[in-house]
This record gives sequence, C-alpha cells and structure tokens, in this order.
Amino acid sequence: MTAYILRRLSLIVLVLVAVSMLVFGITTILPANVAYLILGQFAPADQVAALEARLGLNDPVWMQYLRWAGGIVRGDLGISPLMNRPIAPMLLEAVLRSLTLALSAFALIVVLGIGMGVWAALRHGRTADHVISVGTYVGVAIPEFVWAILMIIIFAAWLGWLPASGYEPMSAGFGTWFWHIVAPVITLVAGHLAHVSRLTRSSMIETLQSPYVNAARAKGLPERVVVFRHALRNALLPTITVLAMDFGRLMGGIVVVEAIFAYPGLGRLIIFSIQSRDIPTLQAAILVVAATYAVANLLADLLYARLNPRIRLGQRAE
Amino acid sequence: MLRIEDFSVSYHTASGRIQALDRVSLEVPRGSTLALVGESGSGKSTAAVAAMGLLPPEARVTSGRVLFKGQDLGAMTPDARRRLRGAQLGMVFQDPFSVLNPSLRIGVQVAEGLIHHLGLSEDAAATRVVELLDEVGIRNPAAIAQAYPHELSGGMRQRVLIAGALGPEPELLILDEPTTALDVTIEAQILTLLEDLRARRGLTMLFISHNLGVVRRIADRVVVLYAGQTVETGPTTDVLWRSNHPYSKGLLAAIPRIDAKRHRLASIPGGMPDMRDPPHGCRFAARCAFAAPGCERPQDLVRVGDRQARCHRLPGIAADPWPTDDTACQRPPASADGPVLEVTDLRKTFTLSQGLRLRGWRPVRATTTIKAIDTVSLRLHAGEVLGLVGESGSGKTTLGRTILRLLDPEAGSIRIDGQEIALAPQRTLEGMRRTAQIVFQNPDSSLNPRKSIGASIARPLVRFGLARGRAVEGRVAELLDLVRLPAHYAARFPHQLSGGEKQRVGIARALATDPRIIVCDEPVSALDVSVQAAILNLLADLRDRLGVAYVFISHDMSVVAHLADRIAVMHHGKLVEVGTAAQIMGDPQDPYTQRLIAAVPRVDAPVPA
Amino acid sequence: MKEPAMSAAPAAPASLPKGPRRPMPVQMKIGLVITATIVVLGLLAPWIAPHPWDTISIDTRFQPPSATYWLGTDEFGRDVLSRLLMGTRLSLALGVSATVVSLAIGVPIGLAAGYFGGKTDEALMRLCDVLMAVPPIMMGLLVLAVTPPALWKVALVVGFVYIPPIARLARSVTLSLSREDFIQAARARYESHAYILFREILPNAWPPLIVEASLRVTYAILLGSALSFLGLGAQPPSSDWGLMISEARSFLDRAPWVALAPAAALCLLVIGVNLLGDGARELLDPRLKSRAKGS
Repeated sequence: MTAYILRRLSLIVLVLVAVSMLVFGITTILPANVAYLILGQFAPADQVAALEARLGLNDPVWMQYLRWAGGIVRGDLGISPLMNRPIAPMLLEAVLRSLTLALSAFALIVVLGIGMGVWAALRHGRTADHVISVGTYVGVAIPEFVWAILMIIIFAAWLGWLPASGYEPMSAGFGTWFWHIVAPVITLVAGHLAHVSRLTRSSMIETLQSPYVNAARAKGLPERVVVFRHALRNALLPTITVLAMDFGRLMGGIVVVEAIFAYPGLGRLIIFSIQSRDIPTLQAAILVVAATYAVANLLADLLYARLNPRIRLGQRAE
Repeated sequence: MLRIEDFSVSYHTASGRIQALDRVSLEVPRGSTLALVGESGSGKSTAAVAAMGLLPPEARVTSGRVLFKGQDLGAMTPDARRRLRGAQLGMVFQDPFSVLNPSLRIGVQVAEGLIHHLGLSEDAAATRVVELLDEVGIRNPAAIAQAYPHELSGGMRQRVLIAGALGPEPELLILDEPTTALDVTIEAQILTLLEDLRARRGLTMLFISHNLGVVRRIADRVVVLYAGQTVETGPTTDVLWRSNHPYSKGLLAAIPRIDAKRHRLASIPGGMPDMRDPPHGCRFAARCAFAAPGCERPQDLVRVGDRQARCHRLPGIAADPWPTDDTACQRPPASADGPVLEVTDLRKTFTLSQGLRLRGWRPVRATTTIKAIDTVSLRLHAGEVLGLVGESGSGKTTLGRTILRLLDPEAGSIRIDGQEIALAPQRTLEGMRRTAQIVFQNPDSSLNPRKSIGASIARPLVRFGLARGRAVEGRVAELLDLVRLPAHYAARFPHQLSGGEKQRVGIARALATDPRIIVCDEPVSALDVSVQAAILNLLADLRDRLGVAYVFISHDMSVVAHLADRIAVMHHGKLVEVGTAAQIMGDPQDPYTQRLIAAVPRVDAPVPA
Repeated sequence: MKEPAMSAAPAAPASLPKGPRRPMPVQMKIGLVITATIVVLGLLAPWIAPHPWDTISIDTRFQPPSATYWLGTDEFGRDVLSRLLMGTRLSLALGVSATVVSLAIGVPIGLAAGYFGGKTDEALMRLCDVLMAVPPIMMGLLVLAVTPPALWKVALVVGFVYIPPIARLARSVTLSLSREDFIQAARARYESHAYILFREILPNAWPPLIVEASLRVTYAILLGSALSFLGLGAQPPSSDWGLMISEARSFLDRAPWVALAPAAALCLLVIGVNLLGDGARELLDPRLKSRAKGS
C-alpha cells in the first residue's frame, strides 16, 4: 500500500511538471507583450527594451521556464504585473472561497447522486426508476450556465428570494454569507447530480445482476444484506473513479458559476486575468487547479484501493 | 425430496420467445443423487435455477410446479422461499471465479448462511466456519477464512463454496456443473469430496453436468435433456451403457474413450433446433439415424422396463447401436523423411511485475518469473499427431505459440522443415508462416466478425500469392469442401454460423497455405460432445488425405488419446513424459502422468463391488 | 461445452455482432426524430427563418413572444427564432467538427497504444494524463486567452481537449480486440502492422467509437457554448446559442425569453443526440439490456 501511494505521488509530480510546461508553453506564444502591458500601450521603445531585459523576456524560453518553475517550487508565484502585488496571497484567498463552494457542492452531489442512483437501481423498471431516469437524462443535457440563468430567473428575478450575485464574507454574518452561496452551490449541484446518479444506477444494476449477488440470493440472505453488503460496495468502485473525474468538471463549472454570480473565487480570477492579459496570475491559477484535481484523483485512488482488496493487498490493478 | 412436475419455462428476449424447458418432470428421492445431463441449450441450467426459485425476471413459468418436501415453491411467499434457500436447499455454481464476492473475506461469506439461517452469533459462526473449511479439505482453514477470493485457486474456491452451501445443513444440494471450470485432477478431488460428504451426511443431490464421465461417477439416476425436453430417464449405468433413446446412443458413441482407440468417432449431424420455434414433432428427428415415419408427430415418453424414453420406435430399436462411420480412407504409411518439426531445449520465461516494493527507502520493481517453457525438446514427423496434454498453467499453449514464433523464445532451437527459426528475425520467417499454421480454441474469437467467410479463407491465399483473380474463389470453394461446408457459405458472416461450423472455417483458413504442420490449440474444447466428434473426425481425415501433421494441444486426456499417435505430458513448463499413445495411456511411468490419467472420469468405469 | 451460469452472459467484446439483428430501441427512435428535426431546421435556416437574423431595429426591442415574433425579440429588436435557427448551424458545426478533430487524433493514438503496448502505450497514455490533468474548460480558456476569440478556434480547442477520452476508448477496444484469436491468426500469417491495424482491428473498433463520438458531440456542443458564454468563443453579432444566452443575462428580469429559447434549444439538441447514442450503444452491446439466454 505504501509503495502504491509512492508510485501515485511520483506520477502526480510528473504530470504536474508536464502541465506546468504545457501552461507555460501555451502562454508564451501569447502576442500580448508583458512590458507594454505594464508600461502602457504607448511607452517609448527604449523603456520597453529595458524592462524586457530586467524581466528576462529576452532569454530563451527554456530559461524563462526554469526561472518561473524554480520560483513556484520555492513557493514564489511571482507578482501580478497588472495589480502589482504578489500573486500567492491573492490566489490563496480565491482558492479558499472556491473550495468552500466546490466542497459543499461536491458533498451534496455525492450524497444525493449516489442515493438517487442506488434507489433507482433497486426500483429498476418501476415508476421511481423511470422518473429518476428521465430526470437525469434531462439533467445531463443542461449545462451549468443554463442552470444559473434558470436560478436567477426563478429565484432572484421572479420570486426575489435570493440575491442575484455577489459575495459576502462570513464576517458579515452567517446568514448573509449563506444566502449568497446558496445559488452558486445549487447551480453546481444541479449541473453534476444527474451524471453521478446515472452512473451509480447503471453500476448498481450491473452489480445486482452479477453472479456473486445471484449466489448471495441463492444463500437465502435477506435482501438488505444482499444489497448493502454484497452489491453496494462493489458497485461504488466505478462510481469513485467517476466522482474524481466529476470533481475536475466541477472545478470547470466553478469558472462559469463564479462568472455569473460574481463570486470572487478562483474561477473569476481566471476569467479576470484572461480579460486583462495578466499571464503570471493565469499560469499560477491553472497550475493550482491542476494540482487540486490531481490531489482529488489521488484521494479517489486511495479510497478505491481501500475498498478493493485486490489493490490493497499489492496485486496489480488490471 | 424434490419433485419437478410438468414444468415449462420460456425466456422473453429481444429476438423472440425462447422455450427453455418444455413440460419437464423429475424426482430426486431423499439420499439419492440425480444427474441432469445435456448439451448447451438443453435447458439443464434453467432447471437448476428454477429449482432454487431464482429464475431471472425475463423468464416465465408457463406450466407445472416445483415441489420441495411436498411444498409448492411457486405458491410460497418470496420471503418463505428465501428462508428455504440456503437453509434447506443449498446451491453450488459452475464458475467458482465469479460467484464469490471479490471484496469480502472468505470467512464472512461462509459465515453468512450460518448467521442468517441458524442464528449463530458472529463468534460462533467464525468457529464453525473453520470447522467447515476443514471438513471440505482445506488445509490451514483459519488463515483461509481471513483471505480474499482472489488469493485462492479455482479448486480452493469451489471447496469454499461447497463449505458455504453445507454450513446451514441443507437437505438438498443443487450443483450446477460444479467441476466444469476446474482441471481434471482438481475435479477428481472435488468429486471425491462430494462422495465423501454424501456418505457422511446423507446428502440428497441434484447434479447438473454435460460430462457423462462425471455423471457416471456421482449419480444414481440420470435425466437426459434435449432441446428443453426429457428424452430419457433411468438408472445411471443403464442409461449410459444401454441407452434407449437415439440421442443418448449418439451422445455416448461420440465420446472418445481413453482406453479404446477407434478409427473414427460416431457423430451426430446438424445442431440444436431453433428454440424460438421448436419442431412440432420429435425435436431430434432431423439429426436422428433412426428417423422414420411417425417422428413428425409429438413424441411421448415410452416406458421400457423401469426406464422411460421419448421415442416412438422403442422398444424396437432399444438394442441397436448408433451407426459409426468407418468408411474413411486408410492412413498412408509413415514417411521415412526427417521430422517436420524439431524442438530442442526450448526455454521461455515470463516476468510478472508485482508493482513497486520498498527496499529500505528505495522503491524497486518487484517481479516474479515463471518458467513457462522449461527446456523442452520434441519432434514431429509428417502426418503424425503429437498430443500435448497438461492442466491450466502447464505452459502448453505458450509452447504451441512459441513454436510458431507468435511468442519469442529465450533460448533453444526450433527447426521447421529443416529451417532454424527459434531466434531468426520475423521477416525471415515468410516460408515458415506458410508451412506452419494454427487453429484456435474459441470459434467465436478466431474469425473476424466483419469479414465474410470467403474473405477470411481467401486472405492467406492473397497474402502468400497462392492464387489470383478467379482462382481465389475456386480455391476457397475447394477449401470449404475439404472441411465439408457448402460453397455458398463463402458469402456468410461468422455470426450466421454455429460453433462447429466456425471451427471448420478456422481449419479451412489454416489449410489454405498447404501447411505441413498445424498447431491445434484446444480446437474442440469449446464444443459440445456431438460437434466435437465431427471435428475430431474431420481432423483425422485431413491428416490421412493431406499428410499434415498436428501438434494437438488439449486438457482432455480422452480426446488426445483418441487422436494422437504420440503424447507429450506437460507440467509446470516441463515435458514430464513423452511416448506413444498406448504407452502413456496404458502404462504411464511418471507419477504426474499417472495421477492425471487416474483422475479422468470414465463413462465405462466399472461398478464398484 | 460450458454453459453460461444463470444470467451471466458470456463476455463477448462489445464490438462483435451476435445473432440476428435486434430491433431499434424506442429511445433511439425518439432521439433520431429530435436530432433529425434539429439538423433539418438548421440546414434550412436561411430559407425558413421568418425574419432576418441580424437586422437591428430599435422599434421592436424586447417584444414578448407573439404571432409575428414566435419567440419574441432581443435588445436590438432582432427576431429570437430566426437567430436561434441560424445558431443551430453553428452549434452543429462546432459539435461535429470538434469531434472530428478528437477522432482524427485520438483514434490513431489509441490504436497505436493498444496495439503496440509496452513503452509506446505508456508514453501515449501519460501524454493523455497530462491533457486530462486540467479540466477541459480551463484548458479551453487557457488556449483561447492567448489568441483573439473565434468560433473555429473553439472547435479546434474543444476537439483537442477531448482527445484523451477518445484515445482511451480506442485503446481499450484495440486491446481487447488484440487478444482475439483472429488477430493471432493474422500474426501467424505475418501480416504487416498496417494490415492488422486497419483491416482487422479498425473495422471492428468503429462501431463503439462512432457511438462514443456521437455522445462526444454533445460534450463538445456544451463546452463550446460555455466558452462562447464566457466571451471566448463566438463574437457578436453571431447568433451562437451560448453567446445569445450570455447576452441575455443583463435583462433576464425583463425579457427572460431571449435566454430561455436558446437554452431550451441547446438542451433539446443534447438530449436528442444522447438518446440516439445511448440507443446505438445498447444495440451494440446486448449485455446492457436483457440478458436472457436459453440454456
């Protein structure tokens, strides 16, 4: 098990290095010139040249990359040329706000999605199953930004229950904070619930038809033992993998949701840095996203291994 | 104890309604063992599942009932039926690899029945589990109880399943092909265990099997099913040795015998009728050697002595044997040339990665090596059949594929037609690829499903430039004729063919290049007995007519004994014994060979005194 | 000779057709009708649109749905229905072209990885891991951030970020097909790698890949519209659905129909294609539905 974790960790590091190269590579092709960005569009050419030299923009790309990557390893994410302040604290604040959003949404998605999926599988072919199936079918077809629009039309514009956008810190009172976070969280949950519950359902149905569940029935075990002890645990294995992937999609959804609800998290920071061509901030933010996603995948793998004795006991996963 | 009366079941599938069982009746008296035998599609598994009250949702019971100790299972509440299952009706399934829950410990799975049916506490159940595992012959039962299924071999798992079924002390045990997935020596052990348990506990058993040798060993009475109907019932030895129904006669004549080498096997032509629309009259008539006017009418069971059979020509044909085809041409005399295949000191090792392990702080790749082929030498002459037998994991398939250089050997020499190929680069093997071909085990997998039969057979001709233009078509028709398929089959696709027909196409494709050697890798293992006989006869005919030599790989001793001139026994990558078929079967020298041959269940085994 | 135990069907690869043709599932028929209708409407859009899609008219701003303007008008007085119809072409073109890009690159990668295995496989799959390490929408944002936005770039980027799932599927299909004996038979004839890959494997790998691709079209449409929604794809005055919804955000309280119409159209298209794809998948893989087997 320790060896397994080590192997996974080393893979993550490798992937993150590759991602950093990719991110850096893509952003250096950028036509926008950082020096002009800092000095203004009409800066004299000699000043621009001097700044470029100071920032090392004339060095070969690999050298720039090493300098940048070296900084990241030391925990120095650089300075936002646009806002002229260190990126790290700004990013940390945004990440924490986004994580609040993501984790509360994710918790709801896991509980409701698995619950609905299992319930539908147990009622396979009956009314409840059909209702859930049709509902989730429609659900997977509606992207977050449509959910968000619907939320605003119904709850903010029409009923006037929720604030349409914005963010209030916890210090403004729990109630205020809560009402501002409800709409984005519901939007995220609505956007991802269907996917999780559909996959849980199909995995559960397949497991319920497996030979070992059949054998458990042949033993005359009560149905609840068959379902919860024999089927559920095995049925959840594929769901865990899917949940990890969905966490990545959820972080993508955060960009959209934060943009619509003017929620000052990581997603909005990314959109903002794109609009203002603030490349160092964009690079750092994407890298943070990749790292978070990698950690989520690692946790999923560990949980998978925990539930699956074949991996836990050191055999090959295939 | 168990009585099935007039029972009919049909399945509703997307392609139509399939009648799996048609008014089947049987009875298992207390303390006896009844065997339900038949080939695939006969409905025997459906009967087993129905007896447990576990039919899948798409199955419909259209008539009859299942009585257990006089109670109608169908009339019970689902809960009452559930309480009966496991407690009084135990079941052991065919495939021990998929019926154990992969994520629960063995002990937990065996204990469940004890806890739920006998009301034992967890601790008491755990103690009893160890006793049960011990009773089914598992060494170190306490440790095994803590293990997970994937850590156990197939034989061990089947013992565990039997222990689990026996735990709540059921009065009736239903066994659905319990030894089919196991090696022959393991099979013999499980059968011994079952005989032992029956003697000790007075178990009643319903035993489902296609293997008549196994049935001969374990059952008191036999019910033979064909296409969902009972065709013959009676005491085991009577049915197996003096069959009344033509189907039983044919089936028994088609089985190769380990100690009675015959020129050709009897075979049953054709295949199972389409069960969406079974024939109105006798369902076997189309394949029957005794067919006569009257067969087109529905048949009733005819009583002959204390036995019954579904044939209107009884008792008239009771003593007539199934006709055997012995008109095949004579074998040409053995050639005096050198061997077409000579393997010397061949070695191949597999390295399995076990993932990373920590050595101190340094992660290292842990590996285990398996000697798949361990210094093997053999030779094969033109027109000769060399049987290669061994159990799973013995390396026989690896050896077969290495001889053809589908796998690369590590060291040693392979000479095909005098050309040394063991370590030669692939591009120099053009000639060898024509001389040596292969026929596979699984007919479903050996043909490309998107290519017509004609295209599959034509490809080697085109590939090696053996025919061009119109000549290709002609040659394909010739090859189809050689394997006794009509020429119009060239336009068909694999899914339109039966298993036996696909296997014939596979043979035709291998023959396309006029090879001198064919490696036959378990070519009949996936086929029913009646079809197997026809393929074995075909292979024998081809050898006699074309002088082609076979390396015939099989796990089935009797099949090898029937076809092979010489036999090589493989065990853990080594050839433990090589000799003529008569020597190996009649007077085996190596202890492993002796065990292997002793383990084969024989239909004609004498009745113990 | 072995019989399938109870209801467990023998594990045949999804690609191998078995038995007689199965009837088309109902859901597939519904999906076919929805998708075909939308495609036809999109193709005929310039001729059937009741009004010009891009003519600005201050007099007709924010008209609610009526007999003249079936779906109302937007802030520039443009007919929403006509814009919607024209936008259909954009969404379809984006979904299809992005998927073609994913297939064109992903399938060869998957074939190579699955067939050659070993180091090739390892390298290609790690490459996919890197592409998958950043959520697709972020990858799209990153690339679109550095170039002036345009719809064709969105199609290209979306096509690129969805290479890994296609490659992985192609790999697993290839891997299972490589184990089939007919591939061994081809190797026993010493066929070239190209022959085995393109004549033996690919024809069998197409069906599952096409099904997956049809489902991928919906992913591409959703991602593309999200990018346009964020202002990085289609630019005004384009009538891309994502952009239409985005532009309607500032007057949701006054004219919700401007946002709701393209949103509904988007969902309907996705549902239609999904129904079609799922139905086709079921047709290919009988294990998903009833497993009845007479035995």
